[in-house]
Amino acid sequence: MYGYGGTIVRINLETGEIGRSPTPETFAREWLGARGFVAKTIYDEVPRDADPLGPENLFIIAPGVLTGSFAPCGSKVGFGCVSPLTNGHADSNMGGHLGPELKFAGYDMIVFERISPKPVYLFVDDDTIELRPAEQYWGMGSLDLEARMKKDLGEDFQIATIGPAGENGVAFACITHDFGRQAGRCGVGAVMGSKKIKAIAVRGTRSLPVHDLPGLTKHTYDIIQRTKTHPNMEPWQKYGTALFVSWANEHGCFPSRNFQTTVHEGWEGISGEKLAEEVLVTHKACFGCWMNCGKYSRARIPGKPDAYLEGPEYETIALCGGSCGMTDIHHVAYANYLCDNLGLDTMSGGNIVGFAMECFQRGIITQKDLEGHELRWGNIDDFEHFLRMIAARRGIGETFSHGTRAAAQKLGRGTIEFAEQAKGMEFSGYDTRWYSAQLLSYCTSDIGAHHNRSWAITADIELGQDTPVGKAPVVIYLQHIRPLFDTWPCCRLFWGELDVTPEEHAEAIKYLTGWAMTIEESMRVSEKIWNLTRAHYLERNGGPGRKHDVAPLRQLEERIPNGPAEGRKVGTENFEYMLNDYYANRGWDRDGNPTREVLELLGLKHAADNLEKRGLLGKPIPGGIPKVRGQKLKPKAM
Amino acid sequence: MVVYLRSGGKLRDRLKPDVDQYTRKFEIGGTPTLREILVAMDIPFALVAFGFSQGKVRRLDYRPSEGEVVTLQPPVAGG
Repeated sequence: MYGYGGTIVRINLETGEIGRSPTPETFAREWLGARGFVAKTIYDEVPRDADPLGPENLFIIAPGVLTGSFAPCGSKVGFGCVSPLTNGHADSNMGGHLGPELKFAGYDMIVFERISPKPVYLFVDDDTIELRPAEQYWGMGSLDLEARMKKDLGEDFQIATIGPAGENGVAFACITHDFGRQAGRCGVGAVMGSKKIKAIAVRGTRSLPVHDLPGLTKHTYDIIQRTKTHPNMEPWQKYGTALFVSWANEHGCFPSRNFQTTVHEGWEGISGEKLAEEVLVTHKACFGCWMNCGKYSRARIPGKPDAYLEGPEYETIALCGGSCGMTDIHHVAYANYLCDNLGLDTMSGGNIVGFAMECFQRGIITQKDLEGHELRWGNIDDFEHFLRMIAARRGIGETFSHGTRAAAQKLGRGTIEFAEQAKGMEFSGYDTRWYSAQLLSYCTSDIGAHHNRSWAITADIELGQDTPVGKAPVVIYLQHIRPLFDTWPCCRLFWGELDVTPEEHAEAIKYLTGWAMTIEESMRVSEKIWNLTRAHYLERNGGPGRKHDVAPLRQLEERIPNGPAEGRKVGTENFEYMLNDYYANRGWDRDGNPTREVLELLGLKHAADNLEKRGLLGKPIPGGIPKVRGQKLKPKAM
Repeated sequence: MVVYLRSGGKLRDRLKPDVDQYTRKFEIGGTPTLREILVAMDIPFALVAFGFSQGKVRRLDYRPSEGEVVTLQPPVAGG
């Protein structure tokens, strides 16, 4: 088989047994890789009542068909499991170099089963796969450990690690690699830690088998030449996503002080320009990328040691910065470093600390809860102390270590009304009260609130920010095309920012594998996965689906108090309208349950049968499901 | 005055390039700001995060000079 490493590995952490089998071509073609491999395997093998941090959950690492190619930017690898945050499907992808290294070693998926009796790390060196002792590393920070393992094993090993937060089972713990690339969301680091896997070290020296190497080379070369001179390349290379901070403030979607408002006083101090002026050291790129969007930085705060990190990018600036009241880029960079080394997702982490800061502001938590400390807006020392409490699950840190929703449920006193999350996972860095399509995206996402699944801000602008009409079909299209990049997997920035089309990515698959695969076939795979993870979520969490697709009250009914979006809110009626429209366009019933018709059309009869057994199958839709589910945004005519 | 505006993606569709695949030559009276140019071209300025020329970010209140080439950067999906 061309285009793939060729082998799937299964590791029983309890017994130490390591099994290998050839990657079936039918499996590879049907699910492509990463998110697809994870969705299929989790659905088929993890019992529906398995504890996400227990022995029956699986922990999966999977590159995919485009990993290790220059097609372009085939740097990505997927991690997957059942999420401790949402109790549903989780996949989280990471850039850097680990995925390609795994492919070059010959592996398409590694499935970890059960729990190791002692801390271990996975050692992969081409054909050699070993579970090696990791007690000497247990307790170390993620970044510190990667540096240490590079010394212990050699610079040519690619290393991914968890920090103390993952070891302690913090629900939003992440996995770090290349000193600053993360599989950040869904708590995949917690599941890795629950299995006592401290790190993964990979060296792969083989070639990737390519069906048509001259064709692939020319295809990639043409893309390189075209994108080198693309008008949007230069600002990207210089600033990365941090440049979006100004726009978000000027257009009323930047989260300030736990989303209390959407324009942040002092945002200029945490802007992309400030990052470039004050903390940037150098640019960084992932495997196969010439955009160098990564920013390697140094945070300098008097009284603290210098901190080196990759970032901060837009999301971290929004959530560790704006949402926590910060106005100094050094403080945001330092907060980023803390999260990275402790092994915490900066997005959920920043969101949760901001939520806690509002709890402190309201007197719901006090200095007594915080070991005598305060939790003031914009105070980096308070941020640090509280973050460490969470990472250690110490005192009230334990309550917040389960995520914002769980913390709000425990604290009570109306805190759920300002917990900005969906399905238990914290919002990305966009307030949605003037961006209803984005709210719909967050609340219908299979993994909880994550903009990677669907970023609909531009759709809101094009279709009208004050109307719910026409949003649902566009959100559905985005929910197919964006996660497709987590399935192939490869970086979506070349598509999103530099006009490399999805058709060109699909063409690369043809050169790699010899499959006559069209973009339509790839999109169908993505839609299939979406419906499978929906079925999985319902089977684990009960139904109907609609009861899970809920929005935070602040986004629905609390008007933005000031700034360019003053007075806006989405409104419950508008949200319900969009949900109805969404379900109809998906081929689901009005309760948000997938119908047999759409599931069987997508080759998921077994999922339909399973839902039916549980009384969760969607009622048939009179007149049938839509022929086309999802619609690309058409810019308004001038 | 004449100004050259460049962009990719959906903004390019609105620009209607006529110099090369990314660039539109636009003639306008006076010395307008980028925002005023966008209004004149009927491009919603919400779709433009900032301008970029000579290696620098230009906010929408920037006034380009005669013949200047300005890249229009759309809002990006974070990351």
